[in-house]
Amino acid sequence: MKTFLNNALLIEQYLQEKLSTGDRLLFEARMIVNPALRKDLNYQKKVYSLIRDYHRQLLKADIEAIHTKLFNDARNLEFRHTIEQIFKAV
Amino acid sequence: METIIIKKAPEITNPEMETVYKHSFPRVARFVKDMGGSFDDARDIFHDALVLFIEARSKNEFVLQTSEGAYILGISKHLWSRRNKKGVNSVYFSDMDKEMTVPSDYYPSVENQRLLRFLKASGKKCLDLLRSFYYQPSNLKELATTLGYPNEHAASVQKYKCLVKIRESIKQRSLMYEDFLK
Repeated sequence: MKTFLNNALLIEQYLQEKLSTGDRLLFEARMIVNPALRKDLNYQKKVYSLIRDYHRQLLKADIEAIHTKLFNDARNLEFRHTIEQIFKAV
Repeated sequence: METIIIKKAPEITNPEMETVYKHSFPRVARFVKDMGGSFDDARDIFHDALVLFIEARSKNEFVLQTSEGAYILGISKHLWSRRNKKGVNSVYFSDMDKEMTVPSDYYPSVENQRLLRFLKASGKKCLDLLRSFYYQPSNLKELATTLGYPNEHAASVQKYKCLVKIRESIKQRSLMYEDFLK
């Protein structure tokens, strides 16, 4: 497990361009001789893209909650009225 | 218009988000209405634009060369234009609008949607932890407590465990899928 964790840390540092030039070149050389490492890197990139999508999903849920509040709260009647006027059929 | 440079803006709070919502939604709603869209179209476009605005302001250096409202409207125009490629009314983009971009991968791929559904059912705790690390670092202490870690350090150790766990999980799913296709 420890090797796995180190490999995840190294991949992250490589993707975030936090490795020194020497370490970066060494890492790239390791990927050439070890295709499994290259695969891990691609899967880890996938994890980051999934976390980003997950974050966006939750952010949208927060925004949706604000929307519901603004359109149902009596204190925001003026705001609601402004929007309704925009979409009112002419 | 004055150029405002926001350096790593703190994460947006709900009251701030509400203020931005109240100020910016009417402008976007008018634009969508003019383009022939409905209230629901306006809401969907605006919510996506707000996500992109929040994302942009959390970057290391976000140069806002216009007001928040104008930025959100500009992004909304791009989103509308992408959604309605064959729309009757063409969108007018100002020079400022043209400089704004919507990431090509903003809408999740079918594969990502499928994987995310699976991960939410099988490893939500890890998803929440990683989300905090990468997108809500100020929330980390609270999250560590909520998820049952004694402190932030323990949560940090767990971060790489989660990264590996999800990575391996995706790998297994991909291999299974490949086998299925054979």
